[in-house]
Amino acid sequence: MDSLHIYQNSYTFIVVFMFVAILLPIVALSAGKLLRPHQPTKEKMTTYESGIEPFQDARVQFNVRYYLFALMFVIFDVETVFLYPWAVAYEQLGIFALIEMLIFIVVLFLGLVYAWKKGVLRWR
Amino acid sequence: MTTIPLQAYLILALILFCIGLFGALTKRNTIIVLICIELMLNAVNLNLVAFSQLGNNPGITGQVFSLFTITIAAAEVAVGMAILIAWYRHKNGVNVDEMDGLKD
Amino acid sequence: MDIQTLLSFEWGMMAPEFTILIVGILLSLLDLFGKDTWKKSLPWLAVGGVGVAIIFLLFQYGHGDISILGNTYVFDSFAFYFKLILLIATLLILLMVISRTVQQEVRDRGEYLYLLLAALLGGMMVASGGDLISLFVGLELLSLSSYIMVGLRKRDVRSSEGAMKYLINGSIATAFTLFGMSYVFGLTGSTKLVDIAREMSGSLGSGEPVAIIGFIIMFVGLAFKISTVPFHMWTPDVYEGAVTPVSAFLSVVSKSAGFIIIVRIFWGIFGNATFGGSDTLFATMIDFIAVLAFLTMFIGNLVALRQRNMKRLLAYSSIGHAGYILIPLVSLTPVSLENIWFYLLAYAFMTIGAFMVIYILEQQKQSEDISIFTGLYRESPALAIIMTIFLASLAGIPGTAGFIGKFNIFVGAVAADPAQYILAGTMAVMTVVSYIYYFNIMVQMYIRKPQLEGTTKIARLQSVPLILCVAGTIGLGVFPFIALNFFH
Repeated sequence: MDSLHIYQNSYTFIVVFMFVAILLPIVALSAGKLLRPHQPTKEKMTTYESGIEPFQDARVQFNVRYYLFALMFVIFDVETVFLYPWAVAYEQLGIFALIEMLIFIVVLFLGLVYAWKKGVLRWR
Repeated sequence: MTTIPLQAYLILALILFCIGLFGALTKRNTIIVLICIELMLNAVNLNLVAFSQLGNNPGITGQVFSLFTITIAAAEVAVGMAILIAWYRHKNGVNVDEMDGLKD
Repeated sequence: MDIQTLLSFEWGMMAPEFTILIVGILLSLLDLFGKDTWKKSLPWLAVGGVGVAIIFLLFQYGHGDISILGNTYVFDSFAFYFKLILLIATLLILLMVISRTVQQEVRDRGEYLYLLLAALLGGMMVASGGDLISLFVGLELLSLSSYIMVGLRKRDVRSSEGAMKYLINGSIATAFTLFGMSYVFGLTGSTKLVDIAREMSGSLGSGEPVAIIGFIIMFVGLAFKISTVPFHMWTPDVYEGAVTPVSAFLSVVSKSAGFIIIVRIFWGIFGNATFGGSDTLFATMIDFIAVLAFLTMFIGNLVALRQRNMKRLLAYSSIGHAGYILIPLVSLTPVSLENIWFYLLAYAFMTIGAFMVIYILEQQKQSEDISIFTGLYRESPALAIIMTIFLASLAGIPGTAGFIGKFNIFVGAVAADPAQYILAGTMAVMTVVSYIYYFNIMVQMYIRKPQLEGTTKIARLQSVPLILCVAGTIGLGVFPFIALNFFH
């Protein structure tokens, strides 16, 4: 019974903190809104960007070349998924699994060589 | 320790799958369609992992299967993106409803 | 699994697969590092590789059923016969690729070849897969390679569009298949087909609805590969967007692989599952597949009537043919498998032949419209007669392979228990409907006058696949027992 009390008490703190955390910004912002004078000018309405005047759209288009790198990354990144189980169970799997994994990596390497030879890795 | 029942996972996976299917069939932007397809495949992963832990005959095979699903889903999206770039160079857009060059 | 068990497997049985794999890797390396003078002979290397694989496979004729890697990869007679179809069809398609006269069509010729081989390898893995995971990986190897092959003609907007549609449809179908597979796994706790079949042969109890949902979802997903009703819409667009040999590949090899995986999974797993005490689960779901087969035949043949683009026409006709091949799947007789096999073999010869003729004309006239056949008999009587043979076979005229295939399916449907009279009747009616659009092409060839004066010549290389396809179509039509005896 005692332990349950301690358990519940520790949650009471969290609940109190949560209330404070929600209340504080609401009170602060609404108090500020009530107290401050409301005089909008055109200059004030512009978007604030680190003290510099905004000079372009926030959404920029990336060079399409980034996609190629992203694609390469995704493929090689996900293939690692097979390396982890193999590494964890390496002790039980033994030499044959090592050979199989080497074959797998050689095939992956061929893919990398292909991308290299086709000039995907060079930034033009 | 109470465990979450298997049914909860299955229903979640079913909902995810349906959301993905709905999105894949209705969205205009091809990227979002691809994301929705990923959602469907992840629903499958959830199913497999839940079954392999809590199913009638639990076993590690489900997790192995989900590893293969993850990898092949990544390959599929990579191919999809590559084809999409080729398409983008022609049309300067990624909307599915602009794919109307081939029809009866 | 220690090294002794691994070495005790008969790895020699995998010789056809290894050949394709090694030739594929070799092609990719030679394409990257080889001199330009070598590159002309790369297609012949691919042809040689497939040829050697066929020879290795034929050595396995009559070999008993064995499996390696703990039943995940099986070599039974089913795998043998269907791999043979895949290899022969790919060989014909490679010969079709070589015969090309217009050069600028696909610039990355090397990729084209080893993607074709990778897709073939995927198909062979599907034929031999004894585990849901290996079936799935093989199917995806086939699908991913086909997506890229459809999109290889990067300069052409139709190619990219076709590839994108194919990829989106295909990925949704994959998700469906996997979702079904996950339920089957959950029900039985195994991904090996033999274990699943054993688990399912007991009473499913409260698992029955899950099994039915898994069955339906998986079938809907796999319907994509064979382009039957819920997932047939991609077919005409993709065939039109792809290069003609790739269309032929999708129409024959990809479709055959789809039927292989359907037979393997649905007969293998659900054919054993008891349902409601007496029937098998597959037997209870026959009506579902029968409805799909009916709709497929209906839609494929009726929409084909108003096509003018030849590749779209063949696409709809291939949807119709997929509907015919679904019939032996549901009319369960001892000869059902034989009928599927024979029809797929006949279908491979006649479809590749028809695509080959279109390919020749398309390169000379830069068009895919039905008007390329106008007055063909006066331009080139040989080509017109060859096309007539393929069309007759597709339509199912006696004396051709297509007739024997259709006839066997029809008899099987009527002789089955319960007899599928509706499906057999639909098939007969739809065959008559299909005469209209096949004969329309013949009318164009023989009766209309050519628009332009000039002759159409068949180059020597182009005649090789044509002759092989004609030989296959006529040979199977006149002496079907050679193939059928070979199957037993």
